[in-house]
Amino acid sequence: MTAVYKAILNLVIAFFFVISLEGIARKITARIQRRIGPPWYQNFIDIFKALSKHPFSNGWIFDFGVLMALGGAIATAAIIPMGSTFWTPFPNTDNFFVIMYLFAVGSLGMAMGMVGSGSPWSAIGVSRALTQMLGYELPYLVVMSSVMYMYKTSSIHLLIEKQATNGWNLYVMPIGAIVAFISLIGMLGKKPFDIAVAPAEIASGPMAELSGKYMGLLQIMHAFSIFVEVGLFVDLFLGGGSLGWFLVKFIVVWVLATLISSVLPRFRIEQMLKFYWGVPLGLAFLNALFVLLGWTF
Amino acid sequence: MKERTMWEQIADSLRSRSLWMLHYCTGCGAMELPPTMTARFDMERFGVAPMATPRQADIMLITGYLNTKTLRRVIYTYEQMADPKYVIGFGSCTINGGIYFDSYSTINRLDYYIPVDVYIAGCMPRPEAILEAFNYLMEKIRKGEADGWKRYKENYEWYKQNQIRSLGEVYVHDEFHE
Amino acid sequence: MFTLLVALLIFSVVNYFISKASWRVGSIINALIGSYLIFQVFTIPKGTEVTIGKFLGETLALQWTNAGFYFSFVSLLVIVAVMFFAIKWLDSQKHPAAFNMFILMVTAGSLGVFMAKDLITLYIFWEIAVLSSMLIIPMGKKESRKAAVVYAVMSAVGTYMFLYGAFMIYSRYGTFSMPEIAKNLANDPSTSFKVAVVLLIAAAGIAKSGIFPLHTWLRIAHGNAPDAFSAVLSGQLVKLGSYVLMISVAVFPSLKIFANLKLYSGVPAPNYFLIALGAASIIIGTLMAIKQDDMKMLIAYSSVANGGYILVGIGTMDPLGFEGGVLHVFNHALAAAVIFMAFASVVYRTHTKKISELGGLIHKMPITYIAYLFAIISLAGIPPMSGFISKWMIYQALVRKGMFITAAIAFFGSIGSFLYVFRPLAGVFLGQLPRKYKDVKEVPPIMWIPMLVLVAISFVMGVWPFPILQPIENMRADFGIAPSFKIADAQNWLVRGFSGSWNPVIVFNLFITGFIVAYILYTLFPKPKKVDLLKPHKEEGAPINIYTSGEFIYTPELYHYNTKFYAGFERMYEKHPSWEKLLYMLAKFFHDVGEWIHGWFFRPSPSAYTFWLAMTILIIFWVRW
Ligand code: SF4
Repeated sequence: MTAVYKAILNLVIAFFFVISLEGIARKITARIQRRIGPPWYQNFIDIFKALSKHPFSNGWIFDFGVLMALGGAIATAAIIPMGSTFWTPFPNTDNFFVIMYLFAVGSLGMAMGMVGSGSPWSAIGVSRALTQMLGYELPYLVVMSSVMYMYKTSSIHLLIEKQATNGWNLYVMPIGAIVAFISLIGMLGKKPFDIAVAPAEIASGPMAELSGKYMGLLQIMHAFSIFVEVGLFVDLFLGGGSLGWFLVKFIVVWVLATLISSVLPRFRIEQMLKFYWGVPLGLAFLNALFVLLGWTF
Repeated sequence: MKERTMWEQIADSLRSRSLWMLHYCTGCGAMELPPTMTARFDMERFGVAPMATPRQADIMLITGYLNTKTLRRVIYTYEQMADPKYVIGFGSCTINGGIYFDSYSTINRLDYYIPVDVYIAGCMPRPEAILEAFNYLMEKIRKGEADGWKRYKENYEWYKQNQIRSLGEVYVHDEFHE
Repeated sequence: MFTLLVALLIFSVVNYFISKASWRVGSIINALIGSYLIFQVFTIPKGTEVTIGKFLGETLALQWTNAGFYFSFVSLLVIVAVMFFAIKWLDSQKHPAAFNMFILMVTAGSLGVFMAKDLITLYIFWEIAVLSSMLIIPMGKKESRKAAVVYAVMSAVGTYMFLYGAFMIYSRYGTFSMPEIAKNLANDPSTSFKVAVVLLIAAAGIAKSGIFPLHTWLRIAHGNAPDAFSAVLSGQLVKLGSYVLMISVAVFPSLKIFANLKLYSGVPAPNYFLIALGAASIIIGTLMAIKQDDMKMLIAYSSVANGGYILVGIGTMDPLGFEGGVLHVFNHALAAAVIFMAFASVVYRTHTKKISELGGLIHKMPITYIAYLFAIISLAGIPPMSGFISKWMIYQALVRKGMFITAAIAFFGSIGSFLYVFRPLAGVFLGQLPRKYKDVKEVPPIMWIPMLVLVAISFVMGVWPFPILQPIENMRADFGIAPSFKIADAQNWLVRGFSGSWNPVIVFNLFITGFIVAYILYTLFPKPKKVDLLKPHKEEGAPINIYTSGEFIYTPELYHYNTKFYAGFERMYEKHPSWEKLLYMLAKFFHDVGEWIHGWFFRPSPSAYTFWLAMTILIIFWVRW
């Protein structure tokens, strides 16, 4: 039963914490651009306002896609360990690949529902998003493989425990951590890699047809996705820590990603692919080689 | 005016704090929006943010003169927005036709065709005026007075009549569209 | 067992005449026979052996093993589904009687392959399966003839190498029986002989399951075969290749045979060679599938990629990798069969297989869409469908072995599979319905029920995989790959790897809970207004009611994105070198040389003949002299 409580806590933290952080990110970007920016709770207002509107539905697959997206994101966010074995809701199931692929349920649901809206902008956006996924996942998964190979486990809470004795992976394999961080920015869809949701060019891509509560639900889904992505990075490279430390590290990673993204322009699709399959992928293999040879700190 | 329930009051105050706008940039007013959005005036601090499509947006900005060709698109787009939705008319062109009052192809009064919640006078209104208008609209929404979308529903026949009188037919049929 | 096979073969001919009278009766009989066979495979006791004859003084025999049971069961699932599907679908075909006959022959042939105890029996039934399927392929259209020839040639390349290997073995050990060969090979001192033999045997599997150098027939054959038969081709016949590959690495225990050839983290060099071929197929299959416009060819290339997965998994000879590879046979068989049947349904109604000519069929064929959706979830390896389990196992094995490059290729293939399965999803089923298909209807129940049944099986096995994992565990124990390690832990509801485990039931429950929470949130807030995407079809002169940048659009098919879906990515490898073109160039070269020789030696004029006759006589004289 405790597993269920922990999973609920996961979701509650993911909701309130991440949505506040999104507001803070808007504030940070505004400050960098010498604006005042919205208050930190702006995203809560946005979401609840969107939920209160009277939306349009473009058919049953549109509804189903949104539900599948949110459902998949909730399921994934519920598994993520929050920094320690104690805050691991399902110690038997927190396998890295399970999380990665369960996470894909949400993306698939979103892609399907959005293209189901009948808008070609959505289809273009989804095709870009999938291509981008091909870009960032490859270096990320190679780095993750080397982490899992090194510690001989793919269970995330065990990886956190190993780091407690061995030192953070950020120090053990700095190259891998950097590559994973670059991939993380792509995963979050932040600035140099916000190709899928290019508002000015393809009318915000997948979200072109979202009105009212659909928009609100997808924003909640987005918050859960951020929780999964950044949470995984904190768990695997920054050694987790107690719940408070986990959240502090979460904030640090998030703010860093925001700072980087708020000063960069956007890549084109093939530039993005060439970028990811160039230096980051090479470094990921280099990191794997170092792990194989035992050249870790 | 009807009493609002508590939920509606809460919803209205949320709506007033988060206005997503669709700027229909036909007229000169489009030029005044970039300074309003960026560092000098920064409208994001009021929760006003630009959105890409009518489905996502709450307010529609009609930034100036409308000729019959664009009016069709405006009506089509307005009907695609999700309720509740608000319209801001920029400049004297939307109020009485402005300097185009005697043009053969522009319309003179916007609120014959779609309900307008706030007008901004001037030719062209300055960003300060635009911010003022946003604040005024927020106030109206909070009080539940910005009910253009309800009026459009209630008086749909009347609006449709006006639209058809000026346009002949709202949806166009010509060789480019078949 | 043997009587069963012979009865099947004889009955297939009988069924031809029944079908000549009424093909529908024939196809119903087929489906019933198939269903009976599924029950039959459960009743045969393991280890039954039947002698069927003598060849070169060696007895030929059938033997019922765990591996045979598993592969037969998977094949029959696919074949029976297609047989039911064909009851209605056949009315779009020109030669239903022949189809009914050959599909029974294919069944008999492939069951025989899975039962064979020795290489010659295997070869005989193999040829039955290949030839009868080759005769089905050109049934559809004229251009399919070439497809059948390419298919036969590629198969022949594989089978002749296989036969050569078989006779090499015979001349050395004097036996064809596989268990004996395995024993002999393990004790043979000559490394080069062992490598040669194993790779020659594997060649048949490489050709059949579309692994890299011999993968070119898949596109042509799958693309041009009768639509429902593509499901058998990709779901079942390709798996014959996987079976032979499994024989060459697992039945002939490569870990023991090549104990002195271990290359890297305990994987023998010949296996590594096979894994490299598998990895190459993953890359080629994925990249080519992404850019196909013909939906059947798209999935044909995806079969190349998935054949690569199976080979990579089996090739590692790691318990997890092996089990994952073998489980992937099941997953890919079901998923590919459903996908091809869904496409057959689409073609049945719309008569085109070009993605760029279709769109929005979800409004007309929702059930086909659902079947396709769940099949691609399984194919892309997303939980809670069973496709995830095998991918998980293969990844675990690759990561544990530290095979990073192969792992990276496997990841690439897996994420690439999202791309290529999404292309038909978006282009054919979602989006805007073209006006010419506005009267298309859903296919009749006899066509969609088989699809849904296969999807349901795949789904149940994704949530509770232990029934399907058990036969694989037995198989693994037979082959002696870490038999003490238990992957399927049904007591604790866990699927275990060496490095961590996961609980499919929890994953499924989480997913359902997430969905319910999302649904509750969804119902809490205002009801949506419906936008009718089909309005332009129903009302004359109504524009579509979605975001169009304020433009009025009356022709929905123009507002549908399905051509060059991944243009940004496709452009990056437009000018890729093509193996297929190289093979065609070779073929053309031989053809030209033949023409030239033909032109010189076989001039249809008397003077030429006299000239060559004189030359020959002269040479003979010269030699004598
Ligand atoms: S009111 Fe003046 S500035 Fe505004 S659109 Fe009309 S002419 Fe242009």
